[in-house]
Amino acid sequence: MGSLLRIHALATNTFREAIRNKLLYTLLGFSFLMIASGVLLATLSYVEVEEILQDMGMSAIRFFSAGIAIFVGIGLIHNEVDRRTIFTILSKPVSRSEFLIGKWAGLTFTVWLQLALMGLAFAIVSALAGAPLRPEHSLAITLIGLELMVLVAVATLFSAFTTPMLAALFTIGLWMIGHLTRDLHALSQQSDVESVAAAGSWLFQLLPDFEVFNKTLEAVHGLPIDRGEVWLAVAYAVGYTGCTLLVGSMIFSRRDFK
Amino acid sequence: MTDRGNEIVRVQGIVKDFRPGFGLRRKRVLHGVTFDVQENEIFGFVGPNGAGKTTTLKILMGLIRPTEGRARILGSDVLESEFRHQIGFLPENPYFYPFLTAREILDFYARLSGVSASDRARRVDRLLGIVNLGHAMDARLRTFSKGMLQRVGIAQALIHDPKVVFLDEPMSGLDPLGRMEIRDLILSLRAEGKTVFMNTHILSDVESICDRVAIIVKGRIRHQGQIEDFLPTERRETDLLISSLPPETADDLGERFELEMRGLGERLELRVAEKDVNAVLDAVMRVGAEVVSVTPRRSSLEDVFLDAVRAGDETTSTPGGSR
Repeated sequence: MGSLLRIHALATNTFREAIRNKLLYTLLGFSFLMIASGVLLATLSYVEVEEILQDMGMSAIRFFSAGIAIFVGIGLIHNEVDRRTIFTILSKPVSRSEFLIGKWAGLTFTVWLQLALMGLAFAIVSALAGAPLRPEHSLAITLIGLELMVLVAVATLFSAFTTPMLAALFTIGLWMIGHLTRDLHALSQQSDVESVAAAGSWLFQLLPDFEVFNKTLEAVHGLPIDRGEVWLAVAYAVGYTGCTLLVGSMIFSRRDFK
Repeated sequence: MTDRGNEIVRVQGIVKDFRPGFGLRRKRVLHGVTFDVQENEIFGFVGPNGAGKTTTLKILMGLIRPTEGRARILGSDVLESEFRHQIGFLPENPYFYPFLTAREILDFYARLSGVSASDRARRVDRLLGIVNLGHAMDARLRTFSKGMLQRVGIAQALIHDPKVVFLDEPMSGLDPLGRMEIRDLILSLRAEGKTVFMNTHILSDVESICDRVAIIVKGRIRHQGQIEDFLPTERRETDLLISSLPPETADDLGERFELEMRGLGERLELRVAEKDVNAVLDAVMRVGAEVVSVTPRRSSLEDVFLDAVRAGDETTSTPGGSR
């Protein structure tokens, strides 16, 4: 119970700090512009106008919310160490795991909040353009929320032991690879070399598979989303986040704060 | 609970190596540091810049892992976190979230320390009053001066009513009045039965409030003992600052008395044994030289400190036969 209270205090404080980050508002502003610009882009086509508008909107949501998760997340731990605020926090009965989880929880809540705002902008633009809004849209956005949860955990992991610049490079790289792991896995399985196929399978297990959370196509084209796949995505997000934070805690607990 | 009846802090053979870069080369900054702090005392940990004071304190706070040796506080290994509700820590030049107010930051630390919701507001108000920040409790910390931040730092260290308080340069950034107030506060903590560990390089503060002292130089404890062991000794001397003293008189004084002579431009500083002061002054005034100042001098903590720093790598010794 005490542990949860401490994590809650750290998460609340992280949220208060994150919402003062100007980068967050810059990216949020650009996401609104991109969502709205779907209206202009859709006028270039005579067919599937509503699909183009919504595809553009969903892509903007995914891209900019990931940008916020990465660029705010990478400085999470580094700023605390750099400004030495971590000294007084860890002198209290706060374990390093609690600290890491508190930071992750605070930023995840922040990105979920901005995701909700982007979703609202998406709904307003769709409604104004006369594009249909279905439960699949909110389901697809919820899955983006799960993707962000994993991404914040990855950013927190790298932030726990390296500089913001390297953490950004690693996290962006992993996010991009995470959207390609299925293709890379499929390619490796076609290799005649057994070790390549084995390495492909091993990497597929290790690296995040962010395509689990991508149901944009179904939402935009009015196709049903299998509820079983949604629950699988939830379990995957919780499991991958847990493992990532566990590894992050193990690394973080060995770190010296000079 | 503790290894010995009233032993609060036990540091045993702590060695710390750092890797300056990516290479395998290591730099040793602490060489087997050993000391203990007893219950209800104010312990001064003194040393020049770069001696290893803050590194030692960070090891005690679990911020740095020792390469060798072990440190315990209240019987618990310092790498544990649960016992920390019994300790308070003020880092050197503390920094806090600038977007919070003094009240909010103390509430945050109280929550981390497990202070109950019903007690938090009362303790925050009380602590802010004690450190004289009652007038600024709702101001954002970004508007605070260095001295005010230092006071916030002291308040957060005490917010959960700890048994042991660790202070890293507590007088840093404070004006003379502020320093006096913090000195009084530290003394009041001892009066309340708390134990205080203080890192400092301000020797007058150590002399006036500490019960015991350890001097660390280049990562090694050079001296430790009761503060009395460092204060006045039998050997009393006086510094005389003389102007316009003829060279032949200076030579004559050097032959007749046991004294140290140091030229300061046109002036000469003489360190004379107390028994010879009158005779030297007579001789100086007879030749028409001007006596600029007469300063009685006593061997003190400062001498021990300076000797230890100059001694560099000499072996550890203990003054007054203590410890």
